[in-house]
Amino acid sequence: MLRINIPERKNWQEQASEFGFHFHTIDGEPYWDESAYYQFTLEQIEQDLEAPTEEIHQMCLHVVDKVVNDEQWLSQFQIPDMFWQQVLDSWNRRDPSLYSRLDFAYQGKGPAKLYENNADTPTSLYESGFWQWLWLEEQVNNGVLSRASDQFNSLQEKLVNQFRVIAQHYDIDHLHFACCQDTDEDRGTVQYLQDCAQEAGLNSPFLFIEDIGLSETGFFTDQHDHTIDTLFKLYPWEFMQRESFGEHIEAAQVNWLEPMWKSVLSNKALLPMLWQLFPNHPNLLPAWFEQDLPHSNDAPIVKKPLFSREGANISILRGNQTNINTPGPYGEEGYIYQAYAPLPRFSEHYTLIGSWLVNDEAAGISIREDHSQITQDSSRYLPHIIL
Amino acid sequence: MTNPKTTQKRSANINLARMRKAVSPKPLALGVATVMLSGCGDDREQAMVFTNLDDCVNQLPEQAEQCQLAYQSALAEAERTAPKYNSQSSCEYEFGANQCTSYRADNGSSWFMPFMAGYMLSSLSSPRYYSTPMFTSYSPYSSYRYRWIGADGKDFGDFRKRNLKVSKKAFAPKPTVSRTIKRGGFGSSVRAKSSWGSSRGGWGG
Repeated sequence: MLRINIPERKNWQEQASEFGFHFHTIDGEPYWDESAYYQFTLEQIEQDLEAPTEEIHQMCLHVVDKVVNDEQWLSQFQIPDMFWQQVLDSWNRRDPSLYSRLDFAYQGKGPAKLYENNADTPTSLYESGFWQWLWLEEQVNNGVLSRASDQFNSLQEKLVNQFRVIAQHYDIDHLHFACCQDTDEDRGTVQYLQDCAQEAGLNSPFLFIEDIGLSETGFFTDQHDHTIDTLFKLYPWEFMQRESFGEHIEAAQVNWLEPMWKSVLSNKALLPMLWQLFPNHPNLLPAWFEQDLPHSNDAPIVKKPLFSREGANISILRGNQTNINTPGPYGEEGYIYQAYAPLPRFSEHYTLIGSWLVNDEAAGISIREDHSQITQDSSRYLPHIIL
Repeated sequence: MTNPKTTQKRSANINLARMRKAVSPKPLALGVATVMLSGCGDDREQAMVFTNLDDCVNQLPEQAEQCQLAYQSALAEAERTAPKYNSQSSCEYEFGANQCTSYRADNGSSWFMPFMAGYMLSSLSSPRYYSTPMFTSYSPYSSYRYRWIGADGKDFGDFRKRNLKVSKKAFAPKPTVSRTIKRGGFGSSVRAKSSWGSSRGGWGG
């Protein structure tokens, strides 16, 4: 695993606007960064990332199976009791999932360590599935990269295929897509998924989360009063379950993407639960619920809210001291603790690997770099190759 | 035994045409042809109906400019071709209460005509695309009631439809349309947390 500098493609910004990639620069700061790339060997990819990703996913499904059948766990996971039956039903029906992203600390050797599972609303999908793919095609065609270069990235192919599977499963020919207003990045991610769904032969109408309506017959409707049968929502379950339409979710009989059983996995309570069920697994970091936290612990630990995104509200603690602390709006549902495993450094950058799953198959990786130990939304996205 | 590794780890093929968003800026074919929907066989063209400009832009954010052009030409076309009535009451008899507006022709004569209820667009991905105004009626006395109607009175079917190339498979288990009683029941957590949200907003992770 190497970090290698490379000239940028001359016209990439124009090309980005041609392809509708609008968030490559955010608040004047680069987000997409092709001034360098990471190079992996095939063994690193297959043995250290691909195989553990699929294995951890299976371990996670094991956690789901335990949690949905046990009220104590459901309440430990802060899933409101109104939804316990629905979460269980969704799991018992095996409602199909579209995608997830596992975040790892990995430095090219030794086991990759799982930081967390973004199982409900992962982003950076377009950059991964399409934009870095295009970058490789072009850098190879320009003669800048070797023809032998490959990339761990079958995301788009697998997403299109999984949309076909889902369409067949629910016997549908259209699928609604939604995200919140006023965010280019989320809208871009959802547009990408709409494109993939269309490639799979589905109609893919879009609406904003805020525009979802409730019909007199108890269904959810789009802005044209069309009943929503199947909805991909880039919006977290833990929010939806606590909002005013939450009580109508059951009667609305929507096929959800992600399915509701994913609310068990997008929850940081997953991490101590995994550690309890699979102690000392090489890809896991020790993790604890608040009440199980060892009393004498000099090793640094990370405190994470049960629900949080983009590195918000995370602290690194050593003994009684807080070393690093990020601000944010999360934490009212409680915290979990995880042993601190530093991100690897490549020159002055801290590097985090996102490993994608489409349904239960590993589908590629994405790389984020930050100047801080806690990867936040200010981090940059870099492409990678296998050589 | 040699076992050459031929499996590629990346997507073999990506449909670049679908991924390309900026349609080369060929302006709307002016003069506005009516979209032909022959109604037979598989040669029907895919067309979408939008109820207003925002609707089009929200559905096709990458094609906002085309939405705008198409909307304006449909509006102009509506004024020109919409059915005209001598009295408000005869217009409302056909289209429903408050569904009509007055219209003053260049020669000074004045008429009543229905509001444009939507506009239909042929596929924006093809280099020549078309828009045409659509009308609908809320009058219980009219055969146009709840239908998409072209300016010439052609019936395009149920006005709740948006994609006019209708799949053979009906939308199975539920009614496709329901009267909405309220909106805005999702999204409040974003407002509550947005002052903290990432600088670029968004709730993905």
